Amino acid sequence: MLEIKNLHVSVGDKEILKGLTLSIKAGEVHAIMGPNGSGKSTLSYVLAGRAGYDITEGSITYNGEDLAALVPEVRAARGVFLAMQYPVEIPGVTTMMFLKTALNSQRRARGESDLDAVAVLKLVRAKAKTLNVSEEMLKRALNVGFSGGEKKRLEILQMALFEPKLAVLDETDSGLDIDALKLVAEGVNTLRDPSRAMLVITHYQRLLDYIVPDRIHVLARGRIVAEGGKELALELEAKGYEHILKEPA
Amino acid sequence: MTLALPSTIQARKAEAATIFGSHGVPTRRVEEWKYSDLKVALGEAGIGTDQALWQVDALPDGVEMFDLSRDGAPDWVQKHFATAGRNIMGTASLTLSDGGVALRIAKGAQVSAALKLAFHGNGHVRGLLVLEEGASLTLVESVGIADFRNVGFEIVLGEGASLEHVRISPRSGDAVLVEEASLRIAAGARYRAHFAGFGSKLSRMELEIALEGEGAQAHLSGVSVLDGKRHSDVTTHVIHRHGNTTSTQLFKHVAGGYARAVYQGKVTVAKGADGSDSHQSAKALLLSENAEADLKPELEIFADDVKCAHGAAVGDLDAESLFYLRARGIPEAEARGLLLQAFLEDAVAEIVNTDQRELVRTELLTALKGIA
Repeated sequence: MLEIKNLHVSVGDKEILKGLTLSIKAGEVHAIMGPNGSGKSTLSYVLAGRAGYDITEGSITYNGEDLAALVPEVRAARGVFLAMQYPVEIPGVTTMMFLKTALNSQRRARGESDLDAVAVLKLVRAKAKTLNVSEEMLKRALNVGFSGGEKKRLEILQMALFEPKLAVLDETDSGLDIDALKLVAEGVNTLRDPSRAMLVITHYQRLLDYIVPDRIHVLARGRIVAEGGKELALELEAKGYEHILKEPA
Repeated sequence: MTLALPSTIQARKAEAATIFGSHGVPTRRVEEWKYSDLKVALGEAGIGTDQALWQVDALPDGVEMFDLSRDGAPDWVQKHFATAGRNIMGTASLTLSDGGVALRIAKGAQVSAALKLAFHGNGHVRGLLVLEEGASLTLVESVGIADFRNVGFEIVLGEGASLEHVRISPRSGDAVLVEEASLRIAAGARYRAHFAGFGSKLSRMELEIALEGEGAQAHLSGVSVLDGKRHSDVTTHVIHRHGNTTSTQLFKHVAGGYARAVYQGKVTVAKGADGSDSHQSAKALLLSENAEADLKPELEIFADDVKCAHGAAVGDLDAESLFYLRARGIPEAEARGLLLQAFLEDAVAEIVNTDQRELVRTELLTALKGIA
């Protein structure tokens, strides 16, 4: 589903990703772990198409298509979803109105008809319940005054609503207590599907206790320096990143 | 000039003529008109002596109306007409206008239907609105497109009266539209106003508001969406004459092309007006390099124990918010429109009257579609 080859990405004059190669098949959940500054968030942004992240070399192929050639909204309509580390607050746009606009934009781009307000509300309510997202939150301005946990739950709610084919979760565990973490992980696990690929980006092994990946990649200094099964996370937790970084990649 | 005017009103008009005679049509060298050069905008045509028109559709129950071009002005007109404010163009309309409309809501009357007042045509015209003690009203003022019009409006709120004033100034290319409203607000009375402007060659709404009694309040808000070479200016002067009075101001502007948004807001807290509370905020988003916003909040304080805050900011759309919306599938133009709408929303939300709030929202959506 996703094929990243020798990816070099610069932000301004600074090269952040320096030859990253990674491949994910439908139905798989991969994790990317790495210390701060290793390029984890850059990878997530470049997949979603944020401006200012320039691909200088290499390629990203998504379902046979050159992902880098598509604007962010087209990527979303094709099924790419990024759960952001810091979801933005937008005063003046209610959460419900945002969800309806986004959902219908994606549907329209795929040639499907718009859903009316009642149909969207029904869909959202069904997903909101299991993620403990209250009616009151849906009426409030998007992410404004939401706690860290509420913001992350709303990201997962969007993921459930949009039903992406490739979901990238950027530090979804950051700022969550253990109960909130379990709730979010449960939300993610119910979305595991043979037709869907997931890329879970995290600094800590903790999240991977709850979202168990098929494969783990360690990102450091802009490249994948180690790969393995889920047991790699435990090794990292026990020995730290230094241990792996010292070994020649 | 009508000869039948009572001598009191004649004297006030003569005084206004003297003041206007000493100033003349304002240019940008007059501080209050720095960002809106009326003389240049008018060119050789000048301000003329034409008489502009007014129209009231379906006078709601509880509203009394008098045509100022007619004889026999009732006592309440004689008492209040030409008593408030002395801004330059206000004195011009007093000097040059023979007509206009006077409206009164009697003591304690709660008028439920909105009063719809339209000014149209070229030239000068006057308006007077008196809300007696405890009366309440929603005034919806519409602005007709004209080559040049100068409206002088006086509003008097008696003790405990309550007025919501909504004014929408339409998008136009060549119109030069100026209006000066002078208000006197008595103890416990509340004035709420919302000005939505879509710009013209020169478009200016000037307010002078005197908070004259304990607990008097003025809450002003406004939005403008401007493109092309359009101009929109809201200039306010709120004078806290009495203690424990409150004023708030919230203005939001979006300007693209070569457009120019102006907000000048002066708040004066007079000597002895202790315990007054004022808050001013003006923000603008500029969508092009050549668009301009001139935001000038100003404070003059001669009293003690007052709470005054002001702020102004000019910026561009937030790139992170734009990316967030696009990453969720919302196309760029639509996402920009949504963010602009969101930017304006808190000022629109100040409108209490539901119909008018929705109307302003709809007009903004249309304008934003053309500019985003």
